[in-house]
Amino acid sequence: MAVSTRRLQKELTEITTAGTPCGITLLKADDFQTWFLTLEVLGESLYQGEVFALMFRFDSQYPISSPAVQFVNDETYQPPIHPHVYSNGHICASILGSEWSPVLSVIAVCITLQSMLASCKDKTRPPDNDRYVAHAPDNPKKTRFVYHDDEV
Amino acid sequence: MEQPWVPTVDDLRVKMCYICREEEHHDRPTEPPIAWVHPCNCTLIAHESCLLSWIQSSQQDASRAQNALKCPQCGTVYELESDNPSSLRILNSLNTAISSAGKMFTIGGISAAVLASGFGIYIIFTSYGAYAVQEFLGKEMFDLVLTDDPSNWPWHALINLPLVPISLILSRTNILEGFPLVPLFLAWTTSPPVQTTENLMTARWRRASITGSDRPWGPILSWPPSPLMVTFLFPVVMKLYRSYFGKLRQRIMGQEPAADATIRRYVWALNDDRNLQLQVDVNAIPDQEEARAQGQNANQRQEGDGEQNDENQEDLPNDPVAAAERTIRVTSASLGRFIGGALLIPRISNLMGNILFRLSKYSFLLRHLLAIRPPRMGPPEVFGKWFDSQPWSRMTAARQFGVGMHMALSVMCGGTKTFAECDPVWWRNAVGMGTFILAKDCINLFHLWLTKREIETRRVKNRSFAGVDIRELDLIRPSRS
Repeated sequence: MAVSTRRLQKELTEITTAGTPCGITLLKADDFQTWFLTLEVLGESLYQGEVFALMFRFDSQYPISSPAVQFVNDETYQPPIHPHVYSNGHICASILGSEWSPVLSVIAVCITLQSMLASCKDKTRPPDNDRYVAHAPDNPKKTRFVYHDDEV
Repeated sequence: MEQPWVPTVDDLRVKMCYICREEEHHDRPTEPPIAWVHPCNCTLIAHESCLLSWIQSSQQDASRAQNALKCPQCGTVYELESDNPSSLRILNSLNTAISSAGKMFTIGGISAAVLASGFGIYIIFTSYGAYAVQEFLGKEMFDLVLTDDPSNWPWHALINLPLVPISLILSRTNILEGFPLVPLFLAWTTSPPVQTTENLMTARWRRASITGSDRPWGPILSWPPSPLMVTFLFPVVMKLYRSYFGKLRQRIMGQEPAADATIRRYVWALNDDRNLQLQVDVNAIPDQEEARAQGQNANQRQEGDGEQNDENQEDLPNDPVAAAERTIRVTSASLGRFIGGALLIPRISNLMGNILFRLSKYSFLLRHLLAIRPPRMGPPEVFGKWFDSQPWSRMTAARQFGVGMHMALSVMCGGTKTFAECDPVWWRNAVGMGTFILAKDCINLFHLWLTKREIETRRVKNRSFAGVDIRELDLIRPSRS
């Protein structure tokens, strides 16, 4: 059993016993490679009533290596319109790249993204959206994002 | 409140690693014991092995490197202790120096390329090619085959010379695995000497000395081997060398060569200062933990506790992130080292050849190995004269064809006579280059080994819980004071 499996098993147990924070639900966690969670911003925000889905992809080195996290973009779920979220679902957030730390977890990432959406004041796509989406790799971890500002 | 007693990581009732989230209860210690460390000023604790692999993997990534030694919660900088001998520090600074030279080369190269668009890249490549020929073949041969005056150059020089820098650079990639100076050799050894006016005049005076048997090409089998032989043998020798050096490396570093690891991405990071390649190289090697785990497995097997073993072994961080995320970072330093290093091959060959030449004065064996000859006396022979001396008219068509084939084969294999008679500077330069590559690889391997040892001997400094509110901690004996 890989390190990632043991660790994800523990995170899953924690989710099923203690539950998830408000606005976050576990959609699908059938294996220890790909998980889906839904995300909703509760209270006053630009995203009231919208439900998004997040896809987490883990490699065997998790949590040493960060998970690949992106918003789901299919018939049921669309990525939010946000200055740091590309229309293909890729997210430009430093905690998924250079600021990743093993102390974080799936739920911690969800909470951070939830507050990123909650604090949004301007519902726009990133300025370079079209250019990025045209050439974006499948796995957002392969992109080297330049983090625009810290108040995500 | 005065606290005469400060708890440490060993006083915790339940320890939980903040990286792998494994727990350990004080009354049920894991077997075999795993070292715990409290490296900072907050309540986070971790397995030392988890923390070390996290530090190591973050240090590989330039964007994460500045956070590698920082606690994610309180920001305290971890203190590392390791075996860091002065030889490693010298090699590291040497490596840094070469990298900055490489960086300067890239910057210089880019400005030169911008200039070259005005002058024509062709001219720059060609002049570099001529320089390489002179360095590699030696002045004497250079004057025979090329001369300083471009108006004397044979037509093929204008195709061959600009190919020299390109083939040198390609020879350092996997695309072209051959002798880096192939374009240089294939044409020159087979072409007659340049016919300068001076040469033609002196040759006219020496007409009488030409006889029919005095053929204008060298023998097929001779020492040193002809350039064509070298061209064919070079890939074979190189392949053998790589495989044996790979085995040596494997023995010293104690693992399978990582060359087969699929490179998942190339990152262009021209503004990146850090030279991380070495660490990535070292990281392609399973760390000591695994070796240790295997040792422990062996011990445990004697106790008949087999099942837990297998689980245990797989749990340990085996192949570091490097293998999973093997990345080649193309930095300005590495680019400069790569291309600059390739273009320095003729110069280095020449220097090494000179050193060998000096040394050969003291060694009979070396003198014979390098086939050192005095410079040629007299002007080079003109190819056409041999044709004139042949009784072509008295030959049958078949014989004419036979002589022609013989001549073509001999020239291909042995080169022209002038080439064969020259002091084979190219040969000692080629041998010198081989010596240089061997020495370079050895130093590189030593550096790698020292770096590996440094990483293996790393220990994170343990700190007490001084400064942490004692009531926040779940201690075995909370009332102790």
